[in-house]
Amino acid sequence: MTSLLTVRGIVKTFPGVRALDGVDLDVAEGEVHCLLGQNGAGKSTLIKVLAGAHQPDAGELTWAGRPVAFPSPHAADAAGIATIHQELDLVPGLSVAENVVLGHEPSRLGFTRLRDAEALTRGLLLRLGHPEIPPRREVGRLSAAGQQVVSVARALARRARLIVMDEPTAVLDPNEVRNLFRVVRELTAEGVSVVYISHRLEEIREIGDRVTVLKDGATVARDLPARTTPTAEVIRLMTGRPVEHAIPPPSAPPGDEVVLEVEDLAGADFRGVSFTVRAGEVVGLAGLVGSGRSEIVETVYGARRATAGTVRVRGRALRTGSVAAAVRAGMGLCPEERKSQGLLLHESVARNVSLPALGRFARAGFLGPDAESGAARAVMARLDVRPADPSRPVRTLSGGNQQKVVLARWLLHGGGVLLLDEPTRGVDVGARGEIYALIRQLAEQGVAVVVVSSEIPEVLGLADTVLVVREGRVVHTAPAAELDEGKVLDLVMGAAHV
Amino acid sequence: MSEQTTVSAEPMATEEPAAGPSPWSRLFLGGVGHNLGLVAVLALLAVVGVATADTFATTANLLTILTSASIIGVITVGATFVIIGGGIDLSVGKLMALASVWATTVATQSFGPWVMVLCALAVGAAGGLLNGLLIAYGRIVPFIVTLAMLISAQGLAERISGRRSQIVTDPTIAAIATTRLLGIPLLVYLFAAVVAIGWVVLNRTTFGRRTFAIGGNPEAARLAGLDVRRHTAALYVVSGLCCGVAAIMIASLTTTGSSTHGTLYELDAIAAVIIGGTLLSGGRGTLVGSILGVLVFTTITNLFVLNNLDTDVQNIAKGAIIVAAVLVQARARRSTP
Amino acid sequence: MSDHSRRGFLSGALGIGAVAALTACTSNAAPANNAAGAAPAGDNAEPGKPVTIGFSCPAADHGWIAAIAANAQAQAARYPDVTFEAVNPTTDITQQIAAVDTLITKKVSALVILPNDGSQLTALGRKAMDAGIPVINLDRVFDSPLAYRTWIGGDNYGMGVAAGTYIGEQLKAKGVSNPVIGEIAGIDNLPLTQDRSRGFVDALSSYGYSVGPRQAADFTAQGGQRIAANLLQAAPRLDALWNHDDDQGIGVLAAIQQAGRGEFLMVGGAGSANAMRAIKADDTVLKATVTYSPSMASSAVALARLVAQNRGMGDLVEKEVPMSLTLASATITKDNVDTYLPLGFES
Repeated sequence: MTSLLTVRGIVKTFPGVRALDGVDLDVAEGEVHCLLGQNGAGKSTLIKVLAGAHQPDAGELTWAGRPVAFPSPHAADAAGIATIHQELDLVPGLSVAENVVLGHEPSRLGFTRLRDAEALTRGLLLRLGHPEIPPRREVGRLSAAGQQVVSVARALARRARLIVMDEPTAVLDPNEVRNLFRVVRELTAEGVSVVYISHRLEEIREIGDRVTVLKDGATVARDLPARTTPTAEVIRLMTGRPVEHAIPPPSAPPGDEVVLEVEDLAGADFRGVSFTVRAGEVVGLAGLVGSGRSEIVETVYGARRATAGTVRVRGRALRTGSVAAAVRAGMGLCPEERKSQGLLLHESVARNVSLPALGRFARAGFLGPDAESGAARAVMARLDVRPADPSRPVRTLSGGNQQKVVLARWLLHGGGVLLLDEPTRGVDVGARGEIYALIRQLAEQGVAVVVVSSEIPEVLGLADTVLVVREGRVVHTAPAAELDEGKVLDLVMGAAHV
Repeated sequence: MSEQTTVSAEPMATEEPAAGPSPWSRLFLGGVGHNLGLVAVLALLAVVGVATADTFATTANLLTILTSASIIGVITVGATFVIIGGGIDLSVGKLMALASVWATTVATQSFGPWVMVLCALAVGAAGGLLNGLLIAYGRIVPFIVTLAMLISAQGLAERISGRRSQIVTDPTIAAIATTRLLGIPLLVYLFAAVVAIGWVVLNRTTFGRRTFAIGGNPEAARLAGLDVRRHTAALYVVSGLCCGVAAIMIASLTTTGSSTHGTLYELDAIAAVIIGGTLLSGGRGTLVGSILGVLVFTTITNLFVLNNLDTDVQNIAKGAIIVAAVLVQARARRSTP
Repeated sequence: MSDHSRRGFLSGALGIGAVAALTACTSNAAPANNAAGAAPAGDNAEPGKPVTIGFSCPAADHGWIAAIAANAQAQAARYPDVTFEAVNPTTDITQQIAAVDTLITKKVSALVILPNDGSQLTALGRKAMDAGIPVINLDRVFDSPLAYRTWIGGDNYGMGVAAGTYIGEQLKAKGVSNPVIGEIAGIDNLPLTQDRSRGFVDALSSYGYSVGPRQAADFTAQGGQRIAANLLQAAPRLDALWNHDDDQGIGVLAAIQQAGRGEFLMVGGAGSANAMRAIKADDTVLKATVTYSPSMASSAVALARLVAQNRGMGDLVEKEVPMSLTLASATITKDNVDTYLPLGFES
């Protein structure tokens, strides 16, 4: 294997933070090189250095045998490095084809040759196994998975020699993941290299060749074989301690009191959904992206209007389409898109935590300075939000801690019904275990919990009862103990087999 | 404090900030700190003023600047609420004109000063409410709704006044602008009171807090159980009320109610809010910054009149100073994250 | 929920009540109709052949323009042989062109036009004249004499001269040497403002005086107040002040009162009824105003009738109406204010 990219001793400091502190990385031609590390380990900063968005303070980059510097994103792009960011950087108002050729439009006399762009895009999408995406469709109207595919197509259109993929499967369902992996294998067979970042160790085992592990801005291990390095070893390297991230089993059966009753609920994307959640019970919704599972919880919560059916909390029916009514009745939602739906990123942790319960800290509408910071500090300590500073802006926290902030919000509000949509998306391995333990702990305190997740082991591990959702219908309901991953996968994919 | 020590073996790679100053002083320092650029520009203007005009630093002149700032200042308080809440209100100037006209018709004046005040406030609030309902419940973008309101308010004001300046004959209202307490004009007290109330509401009430939340991330606010639509509507009522207060002030100051009042005030108010550091997209901003922005504008006008310079030069300088203030502001903020 | 609905009902009822009360407040019992004009007299008073007079002027954004429209209408009503046809006033040039075009198409007997902009409507005046419709050009003059039959308007330069002369006389009488004379102009980039200022400077210089602090406002009360408040700070002592426009003068007077100043004399401009009442009452610094009277609209309609009926002006020997009439700017003081009060326009 010839080396394509060599990174040695990269250092990058920001005011007050040493984000990278001696990173080494070797990427060979035609390999899938996996980058592992907890949130805050420096992966994102490293990617930005490779993409030319950040200039390192020290260290060397070697590209195809020659020392290089990427003073601008354009320079990195010209050298042949394409980055597919976690937050997709597509222009939602432009068409698929326009996005694919953005910045490299085929043109004659200054006029974009849209027809050529569309032909090129159609070819790339076919190659990616997505011929159903029309090149003229506005990107903003595609699903998250569809947008992901467009990003990959864009990287391919630039004839990149190295593609950096930052958590590409976070928004994909198993089918789409398989498709992506097929594309990655084709690319590497053609000599393209891929730097692959994911929290899912199983994926790394499946697709990766070698692994480099970052911790606290430095490389702690490099060029480990991806398939054979034991999981425990990888986790030890990432966290500096061996962790048990298995989900703790429930210590007691749930109570008898029915807290949440959903009866014959229907919305735009689903119908006939009924289930109950008792105090202390965890009900899991398993299903693919687009199966209607997120729509179901959002409708239960009043964030979408139901076309039929009722939702009762402790026997009292809720007004449909009113989040305020649901929150008053004691519900809380940790939404799927934490940053865009859950958090006020520029505000402090305390202000994020106190949002629904703010009235409690006010006297006749008036708040003292930092009125809620004491209460916020207490609930942050309970959830071990780090750093334990309620005045810190939420955007500076890691994904796992941001998720804890949203949980803390509802813990402080104290309603008794918690709806969790993808509670561990974008959360690193160490924090995942903590969130699992927290959910378990809340259930044991009598909270009725509904969990939605695309990760079947997560649903099976957390839930007492599992509802399998497919194409807007609940196709199966059973105690988690009676199900295994294979069976749920079969049910989830049912339509594909028929 | 029952602060639990973290049990993790690995603390996060972030340092704890040093024990900070008290919340109050942090807040004050924060308010000025965020607006260092504007404070610098104001200081610079003051230096230029003292150097070029010997009457600049007199009490009488400083009170003139504050009085000139009072009306647009009150409007800017409302505009700051709306912009932090993620909206925009283009109708402020003409809503004020409409309220001033409505409050100074022969019929209204015949009921006496209190009815005139109530009338101005009611017209302002009603205009704001209509804006708010159309934006929050009618789902029309604020730019369009308030632009339409600007045009119709102007039209209605012209219709009611017959395009004439209506003279304020009520002695109480006329006296607002001439009354001084402890040597300071009543209008300046009114201005200060509106700013103080605005500051408290924005920073010390659930209403203010929710305004930041809704402007910062309306979807997150909605999913946290806030009634985003009702709150949005309320923000425009606040802006309308400020227009009503300003209407009484301008009626007293000019002794007229007129459809020509408040022309282009919307741009002055928005410019003051933006150079004061409030994000046009909402969610972040300070009232102190907006007020400093207003003071910068009125001080410029004062300086130019004191030095007997032409209006055209004035406008060139105003534009240049807006850009300079924003540049200095941005630089100051980058160095103190 | 019942609590909510009751609150809703209450606020609804309050809202409706407030709307009703507010609506009642829009009434402006019109001040006595005092549109300037004169009853026809002499030979020309005899009704002639019936004529239709078209009229177009800018939309009012100022008491003066409002008075122009009212005066024209009132004067036309005094003639039994005149049908008055006014088009919708507008501030938009293209709309004014379109409106006048319809009058041309209707073949009115004569047109009275106060253009939004003289230059931009010259071609239109030409078109009307070519179509055989005599045009009475009011105030803002067309570029070419071919575009109008008769021009009638005020004298901006003369206004400045009148104000300067009055101030010069007064200060000379008081024996002030090196007086501080202030000026608050209208909108600076208008030729009329420049003409007024030029006349003011020229007249003052004949007394050996010059203009001190000078600022432009915008013809509104609000602008007058703002500029005057600041100008008074610039000049701790003033001997005289000329304010170009009585409408903005309301704001100027308010600012003077608010600053508690009174050591100087002030002269207004245009001749509003409001300013005349203040001069008559003699309880403010306003001692005089120099006219630029909207009564010219009444005269324009009278001229249009004469032109359309092929008559001359009674007291003149000529059998036709003159090409051009420049009105003199009168100086109204306490002594003669009663004569002019009927011509004053309401702000």
